[in-house]
Amino acid sequence: MPEELSSLFLSYYSKLIEKECILLSFERIFGGASRETYKIEVGHDVNKIERLILRVTQDSSLIETDQKTEYLAYSAYQDSSVPVPVLLDMSEDSDILGAPFMLMKELQGAAASPFTPNVYSPHEVELGEQFWSILGEIAKKEIQEDIFKSFLSELKEPCWKNELDKWAKVVHEDSIGVEPILEAGIRSLYKNPPKEPERITMVHGDYRSGNFLYLENQITGILDWEMAHLGNPLEDLAWALSPIWSWQDKERPAYLIEKEQAIEIWQNSSNINLDRKDLEWWELFAAIKGMAIWISAGNEFKSGKNIDPINLFSAWIPGDIHLEVILDFLEDRL
Amino acid sequence: MKPDINIALLNAAQEIINRFSPLIDDEYEKSRLSSWGAIILISAMKFNDSSSSLNQENADILEWLLKFTNLDEDDISEYGYEVTSEIQDISLMDTDNQILRGLLDRQMIVLEGNGDTEGLKASYTLMRAMHGRRKVSDLVGLLQQSES
Repeated sequence: MPEELSSLFLSYYSKLIEKECILLSFERIFGGASRETYKIEVGHDVNKIERLILRVTQDSSLIETDQKTEYLAYSAYQDSSVPVPVLLDMSEDSDILGAPFMLMKELQGAAASPFTPNVYSPHEVELGEQFWSILGEIAKKEIQEDIFKSFLSELKEPCWKNELDKWAKVVHEDSIGVEPILEAGIRSLYKNPPKEPERITMVHGDYRSGNFLYLENQITGILDWEMAHLGNPLEDLAWALSPIWSWQDKERPAYLIEKEQAIEIWQNSSNINLDRKDLEWWELFAAIKGMAIWISAGNEFKSGKNIDPINLFSAWIPGDIHLEVILDFLEDRL
Repeated sequence: MKPDINIALLNAAQEIINRFSPLIDDEYEKSRLSSWGAIILISAMKFNDSSSSLNQENADILEWLLKFTNLDEDDISEYGYEVTSEIQDISLMDTDNQILRGLLDRQMIVLEGNGDTEGLKASYTLMRAMHGRRKVSDLVGLLQQSES
């Protein structure tokens, strides 16, 4: 497949830029479990090298999302204070490369594993301030009308119910066994709903440690927008704060800065005064949503649809952690 | 036979992580192989007590059902679970486990409706014990150690 894909790509890209190109490298990289991601170097003209990232939809992926969602979300933040890659092209049909895809320029920087403690040391303070501030910027940004309208069809109010119904459905469709902790968590959320937000915003959907690029003390790009949607900005904040992303140092979400400091930066950047009780609801929701994703991954693996070990790994380790988070919430509320 | 399985899995994991994975240049394939190494390592660590843990979990759920709900052993057997002292294989124990977990879930709904704090508190304690025996997340440190 990579050889076939690389030759299809070369032919497609030469047509796109209307120049003869040569492929200098074409390498699959780890870009999450929902897309096949390739790092590409293309040469053309004299000594001109372009570094590109190609994201191709997988037949079977951890989270089923369409390519257009990610493309539109990236489009919404081009040339803004939220750093995102420059988009080059997108195709929803499979005629060109055998599957829908999105093409963008490569950004400098590296992404860390969200499960490695102190991975951002010694720059955790500078990166932490940027990480929480950018999240506030995502919520604050007025989204261009045509992009906003494209996302609007998916939005049913209240936002909390829209999201909870969606993820509870995934849990019930993909669960291989009964998990009483998870069911009790879902019931608790339905019984104690939060308020609706003052303003509907763009929600990244997977804003967390591991989904941004950084170069020393600078965040260079926010990635993986395939679960973007309109909704309550507290959803993103709670997901990023989830203890799963700093399991070995829960006081410093995402292994960056202290939780209270993170919330303060987010409030200043987003201009949103958060309600702590509502945030607590979204924090429990984050664990339920996480469980839905991990269960879905486990189902892919067990059914043989996708035996990438990341799927089993997700079902085991993050699944364990989020169950424990749900149990902690339930005990606190009793 | 049994101890050899543990040792074989542990050694296989070590070989994958430390010996074969570094030989691969392709970033994605390397990451994928390392993940397999981690999964085999976790399997080796949990292999020894998986059967006794499941057996204990079933006994604990049964005890909770009998103590905090109106169900007796006859009621529970109507759902397909039979109390037995015979040694069972893991797949049979797992089938029983799903029946018992389903009953635990349904009875918790009853307790929530009745506001039975004592029963719910006991159910959380039970679920924490169940989770504690099953979880593998405490092996994350070990995985990081083996990768480094």
